[in-house]
Amino acid sequence: MGKKRRGPTLDELMARPWCYYCERDFDDLKILTLHQKAKHFKCERCGRRLNTAGGLSVHMSQVHKEQLTEIENALPNRSGLDVEIFGMEGVPDDVLQAHQQRVAAQFHQAEAERQAVTGNPPAGSGAGGQPNKKPKLEDFSDLKARLAAHRAKRAEAAAGGSSGEATPLGAGQTVSTPTTYGQPPATASPVHQQQPPVSLTYPPPYGGAAVPATAPYQHQAASPVYPSFSPPGAAPYAPSPVAAAPYAPAYSPQPYLQPAAPMGYGVTPPPFPQQHTPPTDTGLPPRPGSLPTLAGLPQRPAFAAPPINAQQMQQMHMGHPAPPAPAPGYSNGNATQTPGGVSSSVDDLISSAAKEAAAAEKPAKKDKAKNTRMIYSDENVSPEEKMAKLARYAFSRQMFQQETALGEIPGSIVVGTIRDQDKVIDPAH
Amino acid sequence: MSSNQFTVASPPTDAISALKFSPDPNSTRMVVSSWDKNVYLYDLRDENGAVGEGKLLQKFEHRAPVLDVCFGENENEIYTAGLDWDVRKIDLNTSEQTVMSSHEAGVRNVVYSREHNLIISGSWDSTLHVHRPDAGTNTQSIPSTIPLPSKPFSLSLTPTKLVVAMASRALHIYDLKALALLTAQADSDTADGNKVEIEPWQRRESSLKFMTRCVACMPDDAGYASSSIEGRVAVEWFDPSPESQARKYAFKCHRQTAEDGVDVVYPVNALAFHPIHGTFASGGGDGVVALWDGISKRRIRQYQKYPSSVAALGFSGNGKYLAIAISPGFEDGKDDVPEGVVKIIVKELGETEAKGKGAK
Repeated sequence: MGKKRRGPTLDELMARPWCYYCERDFDDLKILTLHQKAKHFKCERCGRRLNTAGGLSVHMSQVHKEQLTEIENALPNRSGLDVEIFGMEGVPDDVLQAHQQRVAAQFHQAEAERQAVTGNPPAGSGAGGQPNKKPKLEDFSDLKARLAAHRAKRAEAAAGGSSGEATPLGAGQTVSTPTTYGQPPATASPVHQQQPPVSLTYPPPYGGAAVPATAPYQHQAASPVYPSFSPPGAAPYAPSPVAAAPYAPAYSPQPYLQPAAPMGYGVTPPPFPQQHTPPTDTGLPPRPGSLPTLAGLPQRPAFAAPPINAQQMQQMHMGHPAPPAPAPGYSNGNATQTPGGVSSSVDDLISSAAKEAAAAEKPAKKDKAKNTRMIYSDENVSPEEKMAKLARYAFSRQMFQQETALGEIPGSIVVGTIRDQDKVIDPAH
Repeated sequence: MSSNQFTVASPPTDAISALKFSPDPNSTRMVVSSWDKNVYLYDLRDENGAVGEGKLLQKFEHRAPVLDVCFGENENEIYTAGLDWDVRKIDLNTSEQTVMSSHEAGVRNVVYSREHNLIISGSWDSTLHVHRPDAGTNTQSIPSTIPLPSKPFSLSLTPTKLVVAMASRALHIYDLKALALLTAQADSDTADGNKVEIEPWQRRESSLKFMTRCVACMPDDAGYASSSIEGRVAVEWFDPSPESQARKYAFKCHRQTAEDGVDVVYPVNALAFHPIHGTFASGGGDGVVALWDGISKRRIRQYQKYPSSVAALGFSGNGKYLAIAISPGFEDGKDDVPEGVVKIIVKELGETEAKGKGAK
């Protein structure tokens, strides 16, 4: 077919080595180890690059008489010395899984975004047609209801015009044209067109402070989603405020997030606000307001799973909570949210695995230290002295005492001439 | 790849206690003392001057096992120390033996300082005897006795200093000049016997946690290396300044990992400095000889394992040969010296074989 390759497949992404300390990924393991030596295991005093954190610690204490307390340039919850990392070795299982989840999530997100922008089916899958088709199958009554809601909002917007705020923000985005709108809302439409792709790309940033303010026009915002999603031909339903369905593809990564999602509820750690609320209630309502923050948002925290998992990891695996610990909140979330059951069981699995790993590590280290055997271990008597006590080397000075007094030399002894009294004593003597 | 090596013909019949080359740069003479009560004199060259198998020139019978031997003023004179408590001088030409002094226990070491013309012996009676070479023949000359806090296990000399490694990890460094002066005084003043209380120039505790096995001084008079029964070697400097003392270090060696993962630690029986390059060789109970660069802290090379423990090592005066004495070692849990092959192996070193690699 001569289809253009669109980039790495999920498997390729998963296989990429990455750095435990800063989550960066690399083309191959060698570069990763070089990165770790240069960024995380470099002695700040003399610039020497060590292979591992343990090595650096020993170097610092022996050469500079200093104590290494944390790894440089590491993420806040990864700067501990307790984990011995070399390349990809030593990464705790739970962290590894969290990373893979995140990679998968990002991959699917990017995929969804691309679909949204290009209208192409997902790479290499027949099911790709679904996102476009699904809206058509939507319940007619549903559509009507939403249309009504949309109209109401529009009326509201026309009166209050809260959407004006959003307009400039979306200006930079490029999306499919709004020409297909049935009843383009004069003021709101430009804004809305831009939102959909954005919202798809970065579901997490939504929510937060802006929610209340933007509530009135949420539905409007949602409606333009359609144009962006669908090929131009899909125009007919575009104006409808029904937004839930088209989003479905965007949330395909959801399964991956499942364990993490509940944690986001209730109390969210500051850096990772409520990412996952949207999916549960058709995804739309809470979104619009936070647009401005989009640009500045780092990609990685897009899903809450890793940080929280790492947190847990820290608690379970290292025995103390990480500094910004949202631990209590997170447990609350577990208790109050229905999906909590799932997540807690996953947590249990993770933590028990972590404990096992920790338990396995400790004895191994002890073994290393103790297993030495000395061939000669007498601290006070030298081997020669011991040998001298053997019967065959026995020698009694008394026998020769008189004879060998100073000045009285037992004469020159030439090879072969052995005098009787020079021989080993007679025990009977 | 491996250097030229040969086994010396007619080796001693029992374990070797010491092996010394003549310090004369042109000489290939070597003396070996053994538990078979003999001292052996070898020359690596045969009658035609070609270095071959080595030749046994003479052997000198003693009354008891001989524990140490060294060359004296010239290569026709050697001193021996043994289990019969005596320190002897042997004239190689006439085979005449002279008792220099008698200790009150076996004499473990004897060394000769050419610069100060002193013979120093260390005995398990925890004393050093300092003799002048005419002692023994001259009844007026009585050796001076220097009491030590513990049994001396190893002695080593530089042109100016004497290092005594003792039990209890003690280590004394004496200034030879002071030693020579004091013994000369004690000689003239024979009234109160021959006991000399002399304060060592430095008292140190070994940097190693276990019993000191051997000590050897650097040929440049800057410091010394010591080894312990626990597979470790320490390198230290004489200079008492903090900068120099900060340079001292120790390292592990002569260890093997057994199949069950246990680290087997062998004693380091012998150390010898190369007279020209200033590098040193270590020989362990594992039968391994390794060459080290003490300045750049690197191993230069390690030779193939020998079938039995390395009892003694010696470099020839010109640094061209390294003699290795192989003897069954006396180990834990053995009541008897195991039967083993006693061998003297001489390695002819390549031009740069024992040369340091230079700093990193």
